[in-house]
Amino acid sequence: MTDTNFIRNFSIIAHIDHGKSTLADRILELTGVVSARDQKAQYLDKMDLERERGITIKAQAVRIPYTARDGQKYILNLIDTPGHVDFSYEVSRSLAACEGALLVVDASQGVEAQTLANVYLALDNDLEVVPVLNKIDLPSAEPERVAREIEEVIGLDCTDPALVSAKSGLGVADLIERVITHLPPPKGDAAAPLKALIFDSWYDTYLGVVVLFRVLDGTIKKGEKIRIFSSGKDFEVMRLGVFSPENIEMPDFGPGEVGFLCANMKELSDAPVGDTITKAENPTKTPFPGFKKVKPMVFSGLYPVEPNEYEMLKVALEKLQLNDAAFSFEPETSKALGFGFRCGFLGLLHIEIIQERLEREFQARLITTAPSVIYKVKTLDGRELQIDNPSLLPDPSNIAELHEPYAKVEIHVPNDYVGNVLGLCEEKRGIQKDMKYLTASRVVITYEMPFAEIMYDFFDKLKSTTKGYASLDYEIVDYRQSDLVRLDILINTEAVDAFSVIVHRDSAYKFGRSLAEKLKKSIPRQMFEVIIQAAIGNKIIAKERVAPFRKDVIAKCYGGDITRKRKLLEKQKEGKRRMRRMGNVEIPQDAFLAVLKAGSDD
Amino acid sequence: MCADARPASPTASLYIHVPFCRSKCGYCAFFSEPLREGAQDAYLPLLLDEMALWAQRLGRLTVPTVFFGGGTPSLLQPEHLARIMEALRQHFDLAPDAEISMEANPESASPDFLRAARALGVNRLSLGVQSFRDEELALLGRPHTARQAAEALARARAAGFTNLGLDLIWGLPGQREGQWLESLRRAVELAPEHLSCYGLTLEPGTPLAEAPEEQRQLPPERELAHMYVHTGELLEDAGYMQYEISNYAHLGQACRHNQACWEGRDYLGLGPAAASTLGHLRSTNPESLSAWAELVRTRRIGLHQRETLTPEIRASERLMLALRTSKGLDLAEYRALSGHNLLSRHKSIIQALRQKELIRIHQGRLRLTRTGMLVSNSIIRALGFE
Repeated sequence: MTDTNFIRNFSIIAHIDHGKSTLADRILELTGVVSARDQKAQYLDKMDLERERGITIKAQAVRIPYTARDGQKYILNLIDTPGHVDFSYEVSRSLAACEGALLVVDASQGVEAQTLANVYLALDNDLEVVPVLNKIDLPSAEPERVAREIEEVIGLDCTDPALVSAKSGLGVADLIERVITHLPPPKGDAAAPLKALIFDSWYDTYLGVVVLFRVLDGTIKKGEKIRIFSSGKDFEVMRLGVFSPENIEMPDFGPGEVGFLCANMKELSDAPVGDTITKAENPTKTPFPGFKKVKPMVFSGLYPVEPNEYEMLKVALEKLQLNDAAFSFEPETSKALGFGFRCGFLGLLHIEIIQERLEREFQARLITTAPSVIYKVKTLDGRELQIDNPSLLPDPSNIAELHEPYAKVEIHVPNDYVGNVLGLCEEKRGIQKDMKYLTASRVVITYEMPFAEIMYDFFDKLKSTTKGYASLDYEIVDYRQSDLVRLDILINTEAVDAFSVIVHRDSAYKFGRSLAEKLKKSIPRQMFEVIIQAAIGNKIIAKERVAPFRKDVIAKCYGGDITRKRKLLEKQKEGKRRMRRMGNVEIPQDAFLAVLKAGSDD
Repeated sequence: MCADARPASPTASLYIHVPFCRSKCGYCAFFSEPLREGAQDAYLPLLLDEMALWAQRLGRLTVPTVFFGGGTPSLLQPEHLARIMEALRQHFDLAPDAEISMEANPESASPDFLRAARALGVNRLSLGVQSFRDEELALLGRPHTARQAAEALARARAAGFTNLGLDLIWGLPGQREGQWLESLRRAVELAPEHLSCYGLTLEPGTPLAEAPEEQRQLPPERELAHMYVHTGELLEDAGYMQYEISNYAHLGQACRHNQACWEGRDYLGLGPAAASTLGHLRSTNPESLSAWAELVRTRRIGLHQRETLTPEIRASERLMLALRTSKGLDLAEYRALSGHNLLSRHKSIIQALRQKELIRIHQGRLRLTRTGMLVSNSIIRALGFE
C-alpha cells in the first residue's frame, strides 16, 4: 500500500490532434515506464481503430513510479478517458477516479469544443485542472493568446501555464514535477469499509472480466470476497494488479490507489462502470454516488450485404458484445433486407465505431439502417408497446397515444453564439429550461428536447453554428406524448421497411421531401428507372426519379481488347458490391443513412 | 516450352498488326509508331520469324480469316505484303474461301497498292473514313478530306474490291445528331458492303482526351442515345443488317474475322500489341517495336502478358462477347460453360429486362435489342459477372 500523500491520480484532457496521446507517451518514456525504443506510437490507445481516429474509446490506466527532484518516490496513475459525447458517462467515471487533470491545448489552435465538454466534466467532479500549452515549438504557436483564451472561455486561471512540446519532450519533465506540486493527493480512510469505484471493465478471453477501479476508502487484497454494490453479487478476487504498462500483480491496495482485478466474472454486467466495489464482509453503506446503468438509446438494423453472411455476422456481434456492455442486439427480419439484427447503441458515434469494428476485425459487409429511438405506444385496444423499429409502429388508426423520449440538454457556449444555439434548439422542438452566465462570456443553456432530434444531426449542427465552441451534454429525462407520424419510403412503388422513419407531424412534409431528394442523390443511375416516393399512410408527399442509363456501352471490342474490357466490367461490378439489390434496383449502403442528412439543406 | 499453348482446334483466325502511321489521330489508342525510313525493313523479317515460330509450335493451322489491322496496313510496301502473304501460305493452310481483310486509310490507299493487295489475295477492305464532314476530320486529326475518302472508295472499286467497308465515328465533341446523320447518309450513298459506326470513346492518354474541356465535351447522353438508335434504323432501311453493337453489313457480308472472335474462337495475333487467344491461354505482345522484336529474337513470343482463362473467365467473356452480337448468347452453350442456368439464376432481372424490351429470348438464345445494346455494359455486368 502506498501512502496517499505520495499518490497522484490524473487524466489528460485534450481535443483530438492536440497531442494527448503523444504527451502520454512522452510521460511514460521520461519516467522510464516505457523505453522510447519499444514504444508503440501512442501507447494508451490500444485498438487500431482508436489509433486511426485519434480518439480513445475505452479508458486505460497506467501506474507510473516516479522519483521527484527532491528524491521522494511517488506513484502517478495516469487515467485516460474516452473522448466523445456518446461516452460522456464513461468519461465522467474516469474523471471521478482522479484528483486532477492536465488540460492540453494546442498553442497554435486554441481551445476547441470537444475539450470544453470534458473540462466541464472535470470541474463538475471538483478536479484540479492544470493548463498545458502544447506544440509551443511550432512557429505558429501563440501561447499568450491561447492562455488568454483559456481564461476567457473556460474561466480557468492561466497566468502560469505549463509550456511543452510533447513531440520533442520539451517541458515535459517540468510538467511531471508540476503534477506532484499542483495536483492534490487523494484522501481516504484505510480503516473504513472498502469503497472502490469501477471506472472501466472489459472482457478478456483468458482472464474473463477485467475491472479497473480506484479505491476511495478501505483496502482490498487478493483472495478476499468482494461485493458489487448494485447487484449484491459476491466474487473472490483472483488477481489484483496494475498496468505499468504491462500488467504486474500486486498483493493489496489502499485508499487512493488505482488497479485492476479479476474475480471470475463472466459478463460485463457483473462489473458495470460507475458501480461501487465493497467487501462481502463489512460492506459500505454508502456507494460512490452517480452510478447509473448504461443502456442503449439508439437502435439501428444491421444486415449482411450477402444474406449467406448472416451467421458470420451473428458470431461477430456476440464477440463485440462481450466487450461492450452498452451494445445490444437481437435478431430481426426486414422485408427489404431479409435476416439481420436490431442493435442498440449509445449514439451515432457508437454505431459508427461498432460498424467499423465489424468491418475491420470481422470482415463483415454491412447495411446499417437509419437509427431510431424507442417510442412508447398505447393502442386503442389497450396494449402498451415499445417500438425501436419505425416499421413496426402500429397502424395510426389503432394508436391512442404515442410517446417519445425527451432529453435534458446542457450546452456550454461562449455568449457570442447564444442566439444561434437558441435558434437551433427551437428548430429541434426544444423547450428552454434555463440559461445562465457562468462568467461574463460563458453561458450554460439548458433545454429539454426530443432525443430523436438530438440523435440525428443536432451535434453536427451545433458544432457548425458555434464554430465548434459549444459543448453538449445530454441525459434522457422522461417520455412525453408527441404528435408523431411514420414516414415511409417506396422504391418503385414497393414500401421499403428499412427506410421508414418516425417524425413529428409538423415537419413530416419537409422531412419527406428532403429524404426523397437525399435518396435520389445517393442512389446511382442504373439499368432501370428508380422512382422514390415518400408517403405518410396512403398519401404520397414527395416523388423523385433516378433516370436510367441511356448509354453505357463499349464501342469496340476486338481480339486485342477483350481482357481489358472484361477487367473494366469486373471493376465496375466490384464497385457495386456494397449495394443491396431490391427487386431490380441496387441501393447503396449510404442510402440507408440518408435519413441522417434529411434535415439539412445541402 | 509452350507445349500447353495448343489450340482447342487446329483452326485459328490470324491477326497481323502493322504498327505504322504517317501521323497519329487524336482519338486513337491503338499502338502505332511514326513511319520512319527503313522501319518496315526491320519489321518484316521479325514478323516472318514470329509466324514461323508459331507454326513450329502449333503445327499447320487452318486459317479461315486473316485481318491486317493497325496502325495503317495500307502503308505496307506491296513487295512486303507479298512476302507476308507468301509466308502465310507457306506456314498455314489458308482456306480456299478465306476472308482476307485489310484496314486502309484513304490518303495512303494508292491505286498501285490497292491493285497489288487485291492481286495478292486481299478480298476485303475496310476504309477508315470516320466522317464525311471536313471540320470533323480536322477535329479528329485525320490527314484526309471527305472528298479524298470518296475517291479512295472509288479507287478500291476500280482495283476490284467487291467487299468494302467504311469505318465511321459518331458522337464527336460538339456534334449534333443531324450532322452525324449527314455523314452517315453520305456513306450510304457510296454503297459500301459494310459499315462500322463507333461511338467516340475518349481513351485516356490520347490527345483528344487531354484536350481542353470545351474541345472534348461530348454531346449529351440523350442525344447520343438518339444517334445510336437512328443509325441502326437508317442503315436497316438502306439494307444493312446490324450484326454487332457497332457493325452493319449487307446480308452475307459481315466481317467473318471479327465474328469468329465474338463467337469465342481461337485467334493468333502477330506483330507488336497483337493478342492471341488459343484455348485457355491468352497472350498479348508488348506495345513497343523493340520489346516485341526482343521477344521474337529470343523466341519468347507468346509468353508476354500471358493469362490463363479459367472456366469462370471464359464464361464471362463468352457472355460479354456474345451479347455484343445480334445472334446473341446460346443459353445451352453458356450453361455448359458456366455450369448454371442464366435464366433461372437471374430470373427477376431477366424478366424486367424483357419487359423493358432491352433483351429478347428466342429459340434458346438471349439477345439484346438495339436499346439494350446501348446499355449493354449494365446488362453484361448484371448477368455475367458474378
